Amino acid sequence: MSSRSMWRGLHYSAKRRILTPQTPYRCFSCSLRAQDQPSKPNDDRMTHFGFNNIRESEKESMVGAVFSSVASSYDTMNDLMSLGIHRLWKDHFVRSLNPGSALPSKYPSSPNGWNILDIAGGTGDIAFRMLDHATNINNDHQTRVTIADINADMLAEGKKRSIDTPYYNTNRLSFMEANAERMPSVPDNSVDLYTVVFGIRNFTDKQAALNEAFRVLKPGGVFACMEFSKVDNALFNAVYKRWSFSAIPLIGQLVAGDRASYQYLVESIERFPSQEEFRDMIRKAGFMIPGRGFENLSTGIAAIHRGVKPVERAE
Amino acid sequence: MAQPLLLSRCPAAAASSRRIINPSSSHLNLTTTTITYSRNIHSSLRPYRESHCHRQQPKSTQLTPVARSSYSYLRPYHSKHHPEPPSHEYTNSQTTILSAALNHVPEHGFTLDSLTLGARDVGFLDVSVQLFPRRELDLIFFWLASRRGLLRGKVENGLFEDLSISDPRTETVKKGNELSVEEKVKILILERLKMNKEIRHKWQDALALMSFPSNVPLSLSELHALSSDILTLAGDTSVDAAWYTKRLSVSAVYASAEVVMTRDETAGFSDTEAFVERRLEDCNAVDGKIGELKQCLGFMGSTAVGLGRSWGLKI
Repeated sequence: MSSRSMWRGLHYSAKRRILTPQTPYRCFSCSLRAQDQPSKPNDDRMTHFGFNNIRESEKESMVGAVFSSVASSYDTMNDLMSLGIHRLWKDHFVRSLNPGSALPSKYPSSPNGWNILDIAGGTGDIAFRMLDHATNINNDHQTRVTIADINADMLAEGKKRSIDTPYYNTNRLSFMEANAERMPSVPDNSVDLYTVVFGIRNFTDKQAALNEAFRVLKPGGVFACMEFSKVDNALFNAVYKRWSFSAIPLIGQLVAGDRASYQYLVESIERFPSQEEFRDMIRKAGFMIPGRGFENLSTGIAAIHRGVKPVERAE
Repeated sequence: MAQPLLLSRCPAAAASSRRIINPSSSHLNLTTTTITYSRNIHSSLRPYRESHCHRQQPKSTQLTPVARSSYSYLRPYHSKHHPEPPSHEYTNSQTTILSAALNHVPEHGFTLDSLTLGARDVGFLDVSVQLFPRRELDLIFFWLASRRGLLRGKVENGLFEDLSISDPRTETVKKGNELSVEEKVKILILERLKMNKEIRHKWQDALALMSFPSNVPLSLSELHALSSDILTLAGDTSVDAAWYTKRLSVSAVYASAEVVMTRDETAGFSDTEAFVERRLEDCNAVDGKIGELKQCLGFMGSTAVGLGRSWGLKI
């Protein structure tokens, strides 16, 4: 047994020597070198992918792979994982933003419609709700939504769904494949409302995305984000953690046939900053924070963050 | 007992423990005996106090400006040791929008429309009303708080000094600085009611919104702030149970007079004025009756004790 493990050690070290010929081979130092390897000076900055550390350059494609694989079963899985509550959260999110201007129908002279940018909104969940709210509640037929997603598969899913909505093939709904950290196609100061719902935790560089949001928003425009967050009740937190780490990957395996993607999902939720930390990140990007800065949903499983881009004259 | 003096010398500690000071202790410096007493304690406790201050300082610097202002806003009494807190805790941008929105209230009432139009007036967008997590309610509370600030400003600019009231019963003319606390309270209540003149027709809507169960605590604390302001400005210095009863009665009188005013069609609101006068007389009458009842019960008690003693009971 011991000879076998020694053989394995030698075997691996021999292999590694081929990969890194500049390091001289030293006997019995193999495991040490294996431990040292990740902390070696590296040109690529590291980021996290669930609980694993990976190179920043890889994260985009790995997240892409996750969402490509879950795109088709996205809605069923959301219902099963959140017991349907995600629909209530999304409805509340849209209702609290109250998209669409109610005034033009009363005063024809006032400017028309909002320009909404829905980031990471591939399947159109939020976009359709916002257009419905604007049309039916505020009687605003001008408000436009641009759905942006980095993942073509998710966008395709959204396009497919948009056929069933009255907004299909109108100028009120458009799709855009874009990385939220760099959106050169969106001009400065052009967006009224920037939303990102359950997406920002997958971004490689969240601060860059926030800065980009600040750039594209008009002065007075609003950044609104709904994301999984930290539960504030210890007892409920224990139950919730048990559910997310045991049940969700299992449901993923049974329903979507993809355990790894859902394992990533719960790990990425765990790694996302707390409400206060994320609020400070939003503030750092230059936004004004109204009130406490976040609103907890279901005792903090999810939280809505808001920031308002300041208007120069008012400050 | 020594707390107010002690805290006033140590602002850092004062900030962190403001809430635990009870209302009566803030007025303790009125009696000389208390001053000497607390000074003794003050000097004997110096070493402890200074270390206490040092411990507290880092804590209070951690407080964000927002947190600190809400702290001072929460202080439910007036104190000569601390500067007056601002009448509201809104940021610059919020105040700009709200002030502009108040111009639209006579036409649109306390609604989201007023808020939106106000935001447009000062260069914000429709979506910028996201700055107000409580929406219309923020407009109402800004109205209340800013009017309260105006009332304070009026008194500071010599509201009473410029007054001279002729009393028809005694046929004398009283100068402003000779007025009693009760008379000043009446003047202040009427003065505050007069500020509601322009929005009188919309005020019932606002009252309805304020009496919505989830808004009741905030509405009551604002009402308390107003009654406390009125009494302090009138020069009330009670430090016993009367502190509470006076504030309660002024609150009750003001709140009911506000409702009466919304339906008052007489010129110069003479009905409302008469109503306020009658209610204040009622208060005095109830106060007198309670005093008489107490006196009566005291006599009966002492008689009973005397009677018992004369029968040889060991009381």
